[in-house]
Amino acid sequence: MAIKNNSGRIWLALPLLVLLIISVVPFLWMAVSSLKSLRQLYSVPPQWLPDPATFSNYSKVLFESNIPRYFLNSTIISVGSTALALCFAIFAAYGFARFNFKGKVWAQSFVLVGQMLPTATIIVPLYFVLSYFKLINTYLGLILVYLVLTLPLSVWMLTGYFKSIPRELEEAAIIDGASRLSILFKINLPLIVPGIVAVVLYSFVATWNEFVFALAFATDRSMKTLPIGLAEFSSEVDTDWGAIMAASFIMTVPIALIFLALQRLFVGGVMSGATKG
Amino acid sequence: MATVTVSDVKKDYGSVQVIHGIDIDIEDGEFVVLVGPSGCGKSTLLRMIAGLEEISGGEVKIAGKVVNDAPPKQRDIAMVFQNYALYPHMTVAKNMGFSLHLQKVPKKEIDQKVQRAAEILGLEALLDRLPKQLSGGQRQRVAMGRAIVRAPQVFLFDEPLSNLDAKLRVQMRAEIRELHQRLRTTTVYVTHDQVEAMTMADKIVVLRSGYVEQIGSPLDLYDTPANRFVAGFIGSPAMNFIEGTVQGGAEPVFVGREGETVKLPSKFVGIGSQPATLGVRPEHVSVVPVGTPGSLTAKVMVVEPTGAETLVITRLGPSQITAVSKERQRLQSGQEIGLSFEVPAVHLFEHGTARELRIIPGH
Repeated sequence: MAIKNNSGRIWLALPLLVLLIISVVPFLWMAVSSLKSLRQLYSVPPQWLPDPATFSNYSKVLFESNIPRYFLNSTIISVGSTALALCFAIFAAYGFARFNFKGKVWAQSFVLVGQMLPTATIIVPLYFVLSYFKLINTYLGLILVYLVLTLPLSVWMLTGYFKSIPRELEEAAIIDGASRLSILFKINLPLIVPGIVAVVLYSFVATWNEFVFALAFATDRSMKTLPIGLAEFSSEVDTDWGAIMAASFIMTVPIALIFLALQRLFVGGVMSGATKG
Repeated sequence: MATVTVSDVKKDYGSVQVIHGIDIDIEDGEFVVLVGPSGCGKSTLLRMIAGLEEISGGEVKIAGKVVNDAPPKQRDIAMVFQNYALYPHMTVAKNMGFSLHLQKVPKKEIDQKVQRAAEILGLEALLDRLPKQLSGGQRQRVAMGRAIVRAPQVFLFDEPLSNLDAKLRVQMRAEIRELHQRLRTTTVYVTHDQVEAMTMADKIVVLRSGYVEQIGSPLDLYDTPANRFVAGFIGSPAMNFIEGTVQGGAEPVFVGREGETVKLPSKFVGIGSQPATLGVRPEHVSVVPVGTPGSLTAKVMVVEPTGAETLVITRLGPSQITAVSKERQRLQSGQEIGLSFEVPAVHLFEHGTARELRIIPGH
C-alpha cells in the first residue's frame, strides 16, 4: 500500500519537476547572466556562475540607456489601461450577467470578435483611427489600443464571476433597500475579489509585455515601452546580451511583485456561507 | 403593521398564465400561510407582494395603498429567503444592520437596534462572526434578525425552514410563531408543508395551479374542506378516499365499486343518488374484529407503529385505507380485519367537480 502510494507520488512529482525546471531555469539564467561580463557570457564551455560578478550591465542600463524612461512609459500605459479595462469590464460584465436585453447574446459574442482577429490585421485600421484623433505617440493612444486587447477577455471572465453569485443575495439587498449601484459595489464586488485580481493580473501582464502595437503606435523615443527598449539593445551588428539580461530582469521585477502581493487574494472561498443548497 | 390586500392578482410569463386572479385579504397582525404543492404559484405570489416580480394584472395593497408599481424599498416589507441569502462578506451584525446603513441611520442607533434584535433571537454571542462560521439554524436566525431590525409593516417568509433538519424545523416553527405573537407584525408565510401551515397559521390559503382552492383557519380547512384536493392536502396522514355511488333516500348509503357499503350520516338525508367520492380521515377509521356489524372487511398491508399511535394501512377493494389507532395493534400483513368508520365524520365529494357535497339544513 505504502509502496503504491509512493510510486503514485513520483508520477505526480515528476511532471511538476519538469514544469518547474522549464519555467524557472530561463529566469535563473537571466538573473545569473545579468551579472556576467560580456566575455564570460560568450565563454565556451559556458561558465555557469559569474566570477567575478559585475554590476556594470545594470549601471549601463540604468544610467546610460533610455530604459528608465521606457519603464515609466510602460508603467503609465499598463496601469492606465488596466484601470480603464477594469472599470469598463465591471459594468459590462454585470450587465451581461444580470440583465436581459435585446441583442444580449449577439453583443456578448461580438465582444470577442476583436480577440479573434490576428493582431497584424488590425494594426493598419487602428493606425488610421489613432492618427485621425491625433493619438499616435501619446499615452492615451496606447492605453486605448490596449483596451482592444484586454477588455474582451476581462468582460468574459468577470461575467462568469458575477453569474456565480446567487440571485437571492441581490434580491435580499433589493428588499433591504439597496440601489443597483450599491448592490454592485457593496454586495457583488467584495464577493468577486478573486475575479478582479485575475483580471488585473491578466490585463497588466498582457499590456506590460505587448510588443507589436507598441512598435507600431509609439515611434517616438519619449513614448516607447520596455519591450521595444529591450529590442533596441540588439542591432544588426551586435547584441549586448548582458544589458538585455539586466533590462529583462528589471522588467520582470514589477510583475513578480504584483503576483506576490495579490497571490493571497486569489484564494477562493469568499462565497461560502451565503446560501445553502 | 398593516393590512395586505390582494385583489384579482394575475401573473403571466408571455402566454403562460401562472396565477389566475387571486383574492386574499390579510388583516393587520395576521399570520397567513400560503400553502400548496410545488408549482402552485405561492412563491410567485409572495414575490409579487414583495415587489421582486411584476404584477401582470389586479392590485396589491399594503396598508391601503396600491403598491403595484412601487419598488420593494417603498413597500416597507422585509423578507426571509429559503436559502437565507446572507451577505457572506459581512459579519452577523453588519448583515442585520445593512438596511439601516443604507437608510443612513446613525451608527449608534443601528448598533442599538441590532443588539435588541440579537437579544430577541439569542444571537448576541455571534454578532462578530461571518455567515460561514454559523450553523444552518443560526443562519436562519440571522436572516430573521435582518428582517426584525427594520421593524417593517409586513414580514414575508419564503419557505424559510425547508433547508433545516426535521428537529430544528419543529423548533424554529415554534420560534417564528412566538416571535409573531411578540411583535404582532402582519406576516405572509409560504410553505409546501401542510404541517407547517396547520401549526403556524391564523389563516391558511391553499393554492393549486395558480388558483385559490380554499381560505380559512387551519381547523376550518381540516373539518370542512371545500373540495377533494384540500381534503387530501391538509392533514397527515392524508384522508382516505373511496370511489363509488350514493344511494339516496330516507337512509342514504354509499356503495363502493366492489360493493363495500357505508352508512351515511343523517345530514345527508334527502341527497339524490349520484356517483361520488367518500372521504374519511384516518383517525375516524377504527380497527375492529372481522364480522362486526356495520364494519367492512379489509386486508392489512403495512403496520407502522410510531410509539404514541399505530398506523394500519389496509386494502379495501381497490382503495387503500389508513387507520390511526391509539392502541397498539398486533397485526400481521395479509391478515383480514374489520374497519369501522365513524359515520358523522365522513365527507362526500361530488363526482366531476370534486366539490364537497353538503346538505344545507332546511333544504
